[in-house]
Amino acid sequence: MTTSTRFLLVAVVTVGLALRPAAAAELSLPGQLPSLDVHGFISQGFLLTSANDYLADSSRGSFEFSEVGLNLTLPATDRLTLGVQIFSRKLGPLGDYRATLDWYYLDYHWRDWLGIRAGRVKLPFGLYNDISDVDSARTAILLPPSIYPAQNRDFLLAQTGVEAYGYTRLGSAGALDYRLYAGTIFLDVKPQPGSPFTVVDLNVPYVAGGRVQWLPIDGLRLGGSLQFLRLDTDLLAPSGSGRVALRIPATLWVASAEYAVQDFLLAAEYSRWLVKTESSNPSLFPEGSTTSERAYVLASYRVNSWLQAGTYYSRLVPDVDRRTFPAGMQHDFALTLRFDVNRYWLIKAEGHYMRGTAGLSPSLNDNRPLSALTPDWALFAVKTTAYF
Amino acid sequence: MRLGVSILVALAAAATAAEQPPSAYVVIVHPANRTARVERKFLADAFLRRTTRWPDDTPIRPVDLGPDAPARIRFSEEVLSRSVASVRSYWQQRIFSGQGLPPPELPDDDSVVAYVLSHPGAIGYVGPGTALNGTKILEVN
Repeated sequence: MTTSTRFLLVAVVTVGLALRPAAAAELSLPGQLPSLDVHGFISQGFLLTSANDYLADSSRGSFEFSEVGLNLTLPATDRLTLGVQIFSRKLGPLGDYRATLDWYYLDYHWRDWLGIRAGRVKLPFGLYNDISDVDSARTAILLPPSIYPAQNRDFLLAQTGVEAYGYTRLGSAGALDYRLYAGTIFLDVKPQPGSPFTVVDLNVPYVAGGRVQWLPIDGLRLGGSLQFLRLDTDLLAPSGSGRVALRIPATLWVASAEYAVQDFLLAAEYSRWLVKTESSNPSLFPEGSTTSERAYVLASYRVNSWLQAGTYYSRLVPDVDRRTFPAGMQHDFALTLRFDVNRYWLIKAEGHYMRGTAGLSPSLNDNRPLSALTPDWALFAVKTTAYF
Repeated sequence: MRLGVSILVALAAAATAAEQPPSAYVVIVHPANRTARVERKFLADAFLRRTTRWPDDTPIRPVDLGPDAPARIRFSEEVLSRSVASVRSYWQQRIFSGQGLPPPELPDDDSVVAYVLSHPGAIGYVGPGTALNGTKILEVN
């Protein structure tokens, strides 16, 4: 099947699903088994940039922005739940429509203050990491890219291991919501276009962390997330000049605040990611350490049952010691309109004014250095999603 | 004099009562439920599935009306402090991140009453004037 045929297929299915009002399916299983809950979504988007290629070949306009997900949840008993979500996407060079198990888990909810999930579980990092591919759950098409970079989804979305979670009331002080996890992330070895090195092996020996949120009053969430992980990789240097093993430990944290009341939402987050590189052969691949700074402030308002408006400012500084312009930072001013055509179909339109090139990928831009790319540029995106 | 003050107090009380809008919903539970009164926050936590058990450890089974029902709209705004659409967005987040399922949505008040009667841990809300058929009204502080 050609790429354009796939796009057409996704678009046709999206419109077809949306025109036929649907509800979440509840399938009755034989015997005394409880019913199975089925939900899903299909999205098709379009990206266009005034200059530079962002996420896809966007400077010429790109439809390489599709997502499909289907999940099944079985509340086996009042404490035990099983769930699985199959997900497939295409975003520029990422995804290629390959269906993957997005998450799957066995959840034992012992008490409200303590439950255990085992399996592949979404990472609770910041306010929105675990919903970063849930288009229907937010106003914006692209979440603030400084903290939720769409191209890092494979690294940051989910871990395979265990998670403890809970929710407890604190009397007049509100409530506390917490999640702690430990496991690993399975990554595929993929060719790195533009890199002189060939990736031979790639694995994550551990990822661990947690998120704690304090809910002092209705609608207010104040929280902090901390994540530790290490990436180990073996690289083959160009023209057979040797092999180098890298250990890349990283510490990521984010402080979060969100206030949502009635139809209004205001959120802000500030984050720093410390990444070290330890090399077995520094002459081939130098060691180093960088700290990136990421922040955004976001607001959205539901005007009526079919219209939402949202805006955010997001700032990315990949290396706090090199705040150069344009390659050392990216400011992103975004404005979104979301139209809910009906309960199962939405359309979004979004404009971004970008200042800086730090969030761009050289490999998508003919391997030109970020400093050589157009410093002031704009992104326009539209996306439609059908879901049930 | 004392009689005059009493009459004034009674009139003021009557006026205050008359100014309060009639409740747009009644919260009901299974007749065997031993809880008589709950805090609004408990009710919100139950419908957002953050609190999943009654004090006697029976699983809480919340049930919603459809999104356009006047009782649903008022319940959502007053108890959950969010519009129905915002609550729906909350459940989209939970569903697609694998963290939970929303309460079932039933088409009318009578269906909610029937559901509550047939599930011991159930809790629902119905419009005023609905025949409660033996379900128990839960007082909300």
